[in-house]
Amino acid sequence: MDRWFAVARSEEVRQGHVFQSALFGQEMAVWRAQSGGVNAWENRCPHRGVRLSIGEQIGDELRCRYHGWRFATGTGQCTYMPAHPTQKPGAALCATVYRSSERYGYVWASLQPREDAPLLPLPEPGTTLRGVYVDAPAESVGERLLLGYGLDGERRLCVRRLDPYLLIGEPRSVRSTGDASADAMEAATSEAAAAPVLFLLQPLDSRATVIHACIAAAISAAERLAVLRAHNTRLLAIRAAVEQAP
Amino acid sequence: MSRIESILWDDWHVVAEIARLRRQGRMTTTLLGESLRLRRDANDGRIEVDRKRAAADGSVYQPVGAVELRYGFVWVCLGTPVRPIVDFAECAEPKRLTASAGSVRVAVSGLRAVENFLDLSHLAFVHAGYLGEQPHTEIHPYTVEPLAHGGIIATGCRVYQPKASPVAAAGFDVDYIYSVLRPYIVVLYKANPIEPRRKDMIALFVQPVSEETCVAHILTCYLPHDADPHAIRRFQQFIFGQDRPILENQLPKRLPLSPRAEFSVRADKSSAAYRRYLAAAGVRYGAIAEA
Repeated sequence: MDRWFAVARSEEVRQGHVFQSALFGQEMAVWRAQSGGVNAWENRCPHRGVRLSIGEQIGDELRCRYHGWRFATGTGQCTYMPAHPTQKPGAALCATVYRSSERYGYVWASLQPREDAPLLPLPEPGTTLRGVYVDAPAESVGERLLLGYGLDGERRLCVRRLDPYLLIGEPRSVRSTGDASADAMEAATSEAAAAPVLFLLQPLDSRATVIHACIAAAISAAERLAVLRAHNTRLLAIRAAVEQAP
Repeated sequence: MSRIESILWDDWHVVAEIARLRRQGRMTTTLLGESLRLRRDANDGRIEVDRKRAAADGSVYQPVGAVELRYGFVWVCLGTPVRPIVDFAECAEPKRLTASAGSVRVAVSGLRAVENFLDLSHLAFVHAGYLGEQPHTEIHPYTVEPLAHGGIIATGCRVYQPKASPVAAAGFDVDYIYSVLRPYIVVLYKANPIEPRRKDMIALFVQPVSEETCVAHILTCYLPHDADPHAIRRFQQFIFGQDRPILENQLPKRLPLSPRAEFSVRADKSSAAYRRYLAAAGVRYGAIAEA
């Protein structure tokens, strides 16, 4: 698939932890080197196939849990095999590295990137929301989002599809819903509610998807919790609707 | 599903620990995808094994003819036995403590479990503080040869072990011999901590449940310095408990036989020989055959 996908939020990829992600059924180990760079690698050691996501980040290297082989950030080159401490690993001995990049608060990866494939232009500053895992194919998730983004059928955002894995929700004119609690939430989130929301769909495999939603606005600390809660509630409602669809 | 190769179908496999079947009275298990029902007769203590067969009006259980009790385990052959159950002379020696050390279910091909048992260079990492320890990670050259009747033997293996067995008081360089006797059966002999010239024996009988699931049955045959069979059992299950999460995180779950599928180095000599032996013997169940 010739494009970039968000495979993790930047804040999920921290020192000392290897984040497990996937694209189209290909598991990935996403990790951050001490020097700051992020890596998205095939989630198996080239030696005996053990998931690298159970390995350890040590400085600028990832160490496999099984035999302690170390692989360098960036290239994936094996740097050290403890069974043969004086032997320099061959140039072909590498973890399988996917092209990756970090921007807009996400780690992006591509299984087969074109040399010139650009990253999606996302708004800056933006606010990234917690990714929501949905037990359904990306196509079904996209179709459900197109029906509207709101609670109880009330359409707060008008959603359109930019491509199969990217949708944008734009607000309609604000009006009273007649529901006091919803109105209160709307008022509290007025500024954020006026901002578009991008939905980045990450197809984990043919049956599961992560919705990464990104609000095209900076949100004040005072508003932040209410906004995140409001969106989380909406996204969970969408998940429930998609998963329960026949 | 296509017919399973004779080297597995017409051979003996462990399906249960006798002590556990005695305790429970009855058990169900699966061997090579076939559902089995094991029963111990309450009156005469006889053990019977039935196999579930599809019938026009549902399924029926039919007795399995080839059932043997050996080394504390129930052995079954689903086809026509073409050779006897593996023979261990050590288990017949007087004053040896022969004991089953339990059965562990693992969500991976049994061939991966056998290969892990043969593996020397994981000891310092997966079993750190027991069967190995950093910085003693280097694997020195050892010898691997084919066995006359199929299988392989690895000799001259030597690793430093902080706690080689339940009776080891201090670390020492342990000499090992490994032998793959059947595609799913592997045994090791390791120097005893108290009598380094004599060897303790540990065998792994791997029950292929499906191509991607197995039960590893552990047999220990120790020199009599280990008075407590419970301590042996606890130690072996603790050690296998360290291997299990590694095994269940191997991708793919079946063992690739092509030398190009996974990268091997000198320390993996026995693993590479094991894969060659499986390929030459035509073992496909639990394997990914060479393209």
